[in-house]
Amino acid sequence: MLEPISIDMASLNLPALLPMAILTIGALAVICIDLAVKGLNRSFLTMFTILFIILDCGAVLGYNGPARGFFDVMLVDGISIIAQVIILVASAFFLPLSLSHRHFKEFRMAEFYALFMFMIVGFQFMVVSDNLILIFIGLETSSLALYTLIAMHNRAKAFEAAIKYFTMGALAASFYGISALIFYALTGSVEINQIEKILMQREFEPLIGVLAATVFMLGALGFKLSLVPSHTWTPDVYEGSSAPLAGYMSVVPKIAGFVVAIRLFEMLVSSGVVWLENILYITVVLTMTLANLTALVQDDVKRMLAFSSISHAGFMMAAILIGTTQANTALFLYWILFMFTNLGAFTMLWIVRHPKNLWDERYQHPYAKFSGLVKIMPTTATIMGIFMFALAGMPPFSVFWGKLYLISAAINSEYISLAIIIVLNSAIAIYYYMKLVIYMFLKDPDPVRADAALYATNASTPLKVIVGVAAIITMFAIVFVEPLLIIITKYVTASGF
Amino acid sequence: MEHILSLLVFFPAMAGLLGFLVTKESIRAYGISVSAIEFFLSIVLWIGFDSSNAGYQFVEYYPFVPSFGMSYYLGVDGISLFLIILSTFITMIAFIALSIKNEIKNLIISVLFLEMTMVGVFVILDVIWFYAFWELSLVPMLYIIGAWGSVNRVYAAIKFFLYTFAGSVLMLVGILYMGFLYHEATGIWSFALPDWYLLQVPFETQLWLFGAFFLAFAIKVPMFPFHTWLPYAHGQAPTIGSIILAAVLLKMGSYGFVRFSLPLFPDASAYFLIPVATICIIMVIYAAMIAYAQEDMKQVIAYSSISHMGIVILGTFAMNAEGITGSIFLMLSHGIVSGALFMLVGVIYDRRHTKMMRDFGGLASVMPNFATIYGIMLMASVGLPLTIGFVGEFLSLAGFYRINWLMTLFAGTGIILGAVYMMVLYRKSFFGPVVHEENKTLNDLNSKELTALIPLVALVAILGVYPKPVLSVIDMSVQKMLVLMEQKAVEQTTKDLIIKANTIGGTH
Repeated sequence: MLEPISIDMASLNLPALLPMAILTIGALAVICIDLAVKGLNRSFLTMFTILFIILDCGAVLGYNGPARGFFDVMLVDGISIIAQVIILVASAFFLPLSLSHRHFKEFRMAEFYALFMFMIVGFQFMVVSDNLILIFIGLETSSLALYTLIAMHNRAKAFEAAIKYFTMGALAASFYGISALIFYALTGSVEINQIEKILMQREFEPLIGVLAATVFMLGALGFKLSLVPSHTWTPDVYEGSSAPLAGYMSVVPKIAGFVVAIRLFEMLVSSGVVWLENILYITVVLTMTLANLTALVQDDVKRMLAFSSISHAGFMMAAILIGTTQANTALFLYWILFMFTNLGAFTMLWIVRHPKNLWDERYQHPYAKFSGLVKIMPTTATIMGIFMFALAGMPPFSVFWGKLYLISAAINSEYISLAIIIVLNSAIAIYYYMKLVIYMFLKDPDPVRADAALYATNASTPLKVIVGVAAIITMFAIVFVEPLLIIITKYVTASGF
Repeated sequence: MEHILSLLVFFPAMAGLLGFLVTKESIRAYGISVSAIEFFLSIVLWIGFDSSNAGYQFVEYYPFVPSFGMSYYLGVDGISLFLIILSTFITMIAFIALSIKNEIKNLIISVLFLEMTMVGVFVILDVIWFYAFWELSLVPMLYIIGAWGSVNRVYAAIKFFLYTFAGSVLMLVGILYMGFLYHEATGIWSFALPDWYLLQVPFETQLWLFGAFFLAFAIKVPMFPFHTWLPYAHGQAPTIGSIILAAVLLKMGSYGFVRFSLPLFPDASAYFLIPVATICIIMVIYAAMIAYAQEDMKQVIAYSSISHMGIVILGTFAMNAEGITGSIFLMLSHGIVSGALFMLVGVIYDRRHTKMMRDFGGLASVMPNFATIYGIMLMASVGLPLTIGFVGEFLSLAGFYRINWLMTLFAGTGIILGAVYMMVLYRKSFFGPVVHEENKTLNDLNSKELTALIPLVALVAILGVYPKPVLSVIDMSVQKMLVLMEQKAVEQTTKDLIIKANTIGGTH
């Protein structure tokens, strides 16, 4: 005889679902409005979406209920709140990039904005849960939306990119399934905190099972975070996507992935099982180093930025490996600073996008395109230069402070060799960022195409504003470091990481 | 006088930003005026400097990222005071002598930003900010070499940038590790250098940290075998780039040794004394020999810089007041003399578009003023008594004599070798008949060049004869630092070495 199901509404804690509900309503509303009103302009759609994102952000920050909700599958803790805020702010900043001067097909369709909101909902579900099933649902919701968004770009390489991403994503999803299955088989639970408790009791025996689950999980999350060796899709997908979406992909899905990784790997690292730690260590070092070395030989700036973002993801995984409060704080600090800088860099590429590949048959943004840019568009070149120096970790620009805090975290937990590997990688990385600076500042422009108009076909006021904001934040990042540190440390400590 | 240091650091940068709005025609005058005001400010600093106080003066301290121990912490003492004045002075002189015409606006703005980083390195007492200024100085220099240099400029610029950047990344690890040690010892975070001075670092740790800092400083100096970027950079850089590089940027490295390596890691400094001194001797002799073999005037001076920097580092590691004071004085004199020499090569390059000695000969009869000033600067470079070059070189060597007389003897050959290659340079270029037709009609120094060079000549003579006002100020802070080193040393042998180096046969 089955027990009658009785649910107490208060214990369900529905307000925990409010942020996701807001965007879901927003997404449905966009579609309905589009049905009712014909010929909606993209400026309306963009601003409408941003409004919902702001409402969502308000709901996230205003939440003061218990940490658990909805049959205990939701977990609204500190890191989930920071991660959601980062995701929402980044989305609100990337979205106006659709207001470029030239009209791209995807930005004229209401579906784009609806899918965009569904994607954010997916990310939010990923970060506000420690239930492997709900995380999976979030992961797949966001991924499916993202595949479609890439394909909507409707340029030669976009379909290829979307299919590549989709196939790899399907593989990663199966890895995730296998890993969750093994964890369930080992512990009889899909809740990360339960899994942790039971594994701790059993001292991580049978080790082979835990190792298998970890490796499969690393494969699945590694795909999302583009960790070596699951990174191969990244440059091609970025190349095929529009610059705003590529920039978005290099920041937002990863922060969602990192939160899952923090929840899951933190227990494995702290288990004291050397093998688990070694696997993660090797992944971190390989990700940083191989991506850096590959970035050295790229001919296209967008691909270079793709590899650079892989390498930055490697730095972030290092924070998870270290696993102290300071390291987790460093992760979020780094990612916030990196977000603005990367946003700026990709927006610059979006601005200088030209409908035809004038400089190279294959690439939109070969290095040669930027030759002597300082003589053609001095301000553009200077700002781009600042973004490059910032990404390279040159003080006093933004990413340096994140890197500083991360290396400091590594040193404080006696990961000296890891700290040295990080700085050596920074030394390698400077070369490919410098390459762009050298092209812009030290080479002579191509006499035929030395025309500012060629570079400014896509520049519109919203794009310029976004680049301006990103540049100011990148240059004066030090001002934000202290308040950010205080806020992040508070939230991270509150979640017990 | 309250915020004069902040003013000194950020005035050039602010002026550089405003410089974007100045038209091309008047940018040169703008550059000279700004650098003159900056120089005037640094003189005001000297006037206001209390020379009876060995500690940090004009201190400005604001917590910046307190949760991480970072602060905005400025201060000068005798060690840094004259290096600041050197930076502002050389920048001004270099602007006066500037002969580049194309894209001059970007050039002047770059140099103004460079000036900010140079002054910043010398006044900042928070180590993370020090690192920031240290790295930031590479950016304008990269642009200066890469955009206005000679044929191979881009390669030279990249080599300079990557070499020095890669060298200093380990310093960052060292800095953070020191912060960690301070936190372990006291429970609070601090990256303020005066705080770190109070920390006793275990011997083993000192060795590692010394190594992490050493690489950054050694590349900047540049010490053998990390010197290979320097001849390229000088060979390709425009005159103004060479002047600032040789006169000021190299001093950042030797300043780093005095400011960081010695007082933070006294035991490691003593431990590595002989290896470092050996490298110095190799630098002195090897670079002098290469200088002798050069055909290009600028390369001779570039290699002679390496040779002289060898004596600077040797003096620094003498661990006594004479040696360190002498080496700091030698930094100043080398700044003035090498700056002047690069300027002089620039003068002749502007007229003939060649720097090869074989293209000249008999210049003394064609350009008498030029030859005279060149001669004076060569004498100063060689270290002739009564010139500025003598004081520092003598004191450095005299200081190291107490540590090891034999090594001092070897290093002393650098003076003889220096005389050889410089005299050869002078003979080839200035004496003998004028064989090349185009050299017969060369113009002597014009008023612009004389304005830039005469102050340098005057300094060479005045400080050569009467260096006391500068030396005594430096000496006082150095004495204080030595006392600190002795107190901080964890090994008895180090304490003994410092005491021995400062007493035997001396007046300590």
